[in-house]
Amino acid sequence: MEPVIIARGLCKKYGTLTAVDGISFEIRRGECFGFLGPNGAGKTTTVRMIHCVSPVSSGTLSVLGSQAHVDNRALKQQTGIVPQEITLDTDLTVRENLQVFAHFFAIPRTEARKRIAELLRFVELEKKSDSRIPELSTGMKRRLLIARALLNRPKLIIADEPTTGLDPQARHLVWQRLRRLKSQGDTLILTTQYMEEAQQLCDRIVIMHRGRILREGVPARLIAEEIGREVTEVRAAPEQDGGLLAALGPLARGHERVGDTLYFYCDDGRPLMKKVLELDLPATVHRPASLEDVFLKLTGRSLVE
Amino acid sequence: MNLSRRIVFVFWRNMVSYKRFVMTTFLASLVQPLFYLITFGIGMGAYIGYFGGRPYLYFLVPGVLVTSVMMSASFECMYGTFVKMAHEKLYDALIATPVSAEDAVAGDIAWGAFRGLVSGSLMMIVAILMGILPVSPASVLLLVLLMVFVGILFGSLAMVVTSFAPNFDFFNYYSELVLTPMLFFSGVFFPLDKFPPWMKTLSQFMPLTHAVAVSRAIFNGEYSRGLILNFAVILGLGGAAFLFGVQRMKKRLIK
Repeated sequence: MEPVIIARGLCKKYGTLTAVDGISFEIRRGECFGFLGPNGAGKTTTVRMIHCVSPVSSGTLSVLGSQAHVDNRALKQQTGIVPQEITLDTDLTVRENLQVFAHFFAIPRTEARKRIAELLRFVELEKKSDSRIPELSTGMKRRLLIARALLNRPKLIIADEPTTGLDPQARHLVWQRLRRLKSQGDTLILTTQYMEEAQQLCDRIVIMHRGRILREGVPARLIAEEIGREVTEVRAAPEQDGGLLAALGPLARGHERVGDTLYFYCDDGRPLMKKVLELDLPATVHRPASLEDVFLKLTGRSLVE
Repeated sequence: MNLSRRIVFVFWRNMVSYKRFVMTTFLASLVQPLFYLITFGIGMGAYIGYFGGRPYLYFLVPGVLVTSVMMSASFECMYGTFVKMAHEKLYDALIATPVSAEDAVAGDIAWGAFRGLVSGSLMMIVAILMGILPVSPASVLLLVLLMVFVGILFGSLAMVVTSFAPNFDFFNYYSELVLTPMLFFSGVFFPLDKFPPWMKTLSQFMPLTHAVAVSRAIFNGEYSRGLILNFAVILGLGGAAFLFGVQRMKKRLIK
């Protein structure tokens, strides 16, 4: 698959603060590519440069064959943005929001009417088409943002934390819609802090921290490489570390202590669990490894301020 | 300066939203100038009587016309724009489309000018209903044209203020320290020739002074060579404020 986005040594500086610190990556046509990272990792800044609303400080960034730049109208014409914040026009109705945006993309009137009807159906908002924005739930607003991002039939869709603040039902509906776009062959970029979201949607991800890319790859493979298949969490005071590590350490690929918990990473957790039963450790959790473990291992389990 | 025909799209967006509260804005933009007309025009006019051979209202109305243009355009480009920028984040959504930051800001200045034109035109209709008529139908057209330029001037100045504003309260400085004094130093209610020289000089630095002078000349059909300078100030300052305001706002919007 040919790359549609190529970043080389991409940097973004705000005064003395370096938000994005010389990252390189490629995004291929038709894939869903995820940027993961804690707050302030530089995910949003990166996608803002991709969709041409933030100037590149240094490095190169080629998107759909042209250089990303704030005055690159041709590129903006081909991208669809689902923003992190709800940037709907609160004075207007659902339909008017889409009509006004169709205008911004210079879509002819009859074509716009057709697409608006289609998109309202796609995001299940037909019945709300004449409602004003304050009358909508957060989930509906998010769906309308998706519809708005698709008005110009974009070649590239960027969703910046599209499910922030949604309840589980609404989140799953948004995921379904994004998955459907992916199955249509659209190129999708997603930023998220939710590991489940990344696992559900992304073909490949990068994990960002403090403006840099720590790891890149396919989610399942990253988990296998960094963690293994299973994780055992043992709640125990740090004073017990000596004994526990001597008994359990050799049975695991690796371990980590964070606060009141010892994490053991295993490919096959059965020998370790047998030992746990022998030792009769009551406060123990055994579970499959997840992207969250990778994420926390790489970016640190302590709070990122 | 990356301007394009997309300014029209931004203007149109404002029109779509305007249709919901058009009546309230009519009322709001009429009330204050109407008070000036009634209290000063009728109340004070009764004492003053004639002014340069005509009733006082012929002196007052052209000044109040451009004042209402100034107020409407200024407030639209301060509060209206600020809400769209900081509260509704509408500008962020706009600049992610082929509409540039310059288009978006210029579209809002054009919109502010239009709102000014609406307020001024309403005032003119009220004045005409009161029997205070511009000297000829041609004057009416020229006044409409003038109101457009005055609207762009004050819309752009307000946009410069907005580009610096950290919050709503900031606008109080501009309206209390700049707009309100201008109302009294620009010859809206009385001629400036009895002012001491320093006040006369001060008043020449107020853009409203020049707008009032041109408006009054057109309304009463009394043209003089000095008006060229007045009009040049409106155009020159308007153009400069427009370019500066758009540039400053772009800096604020694109980081």
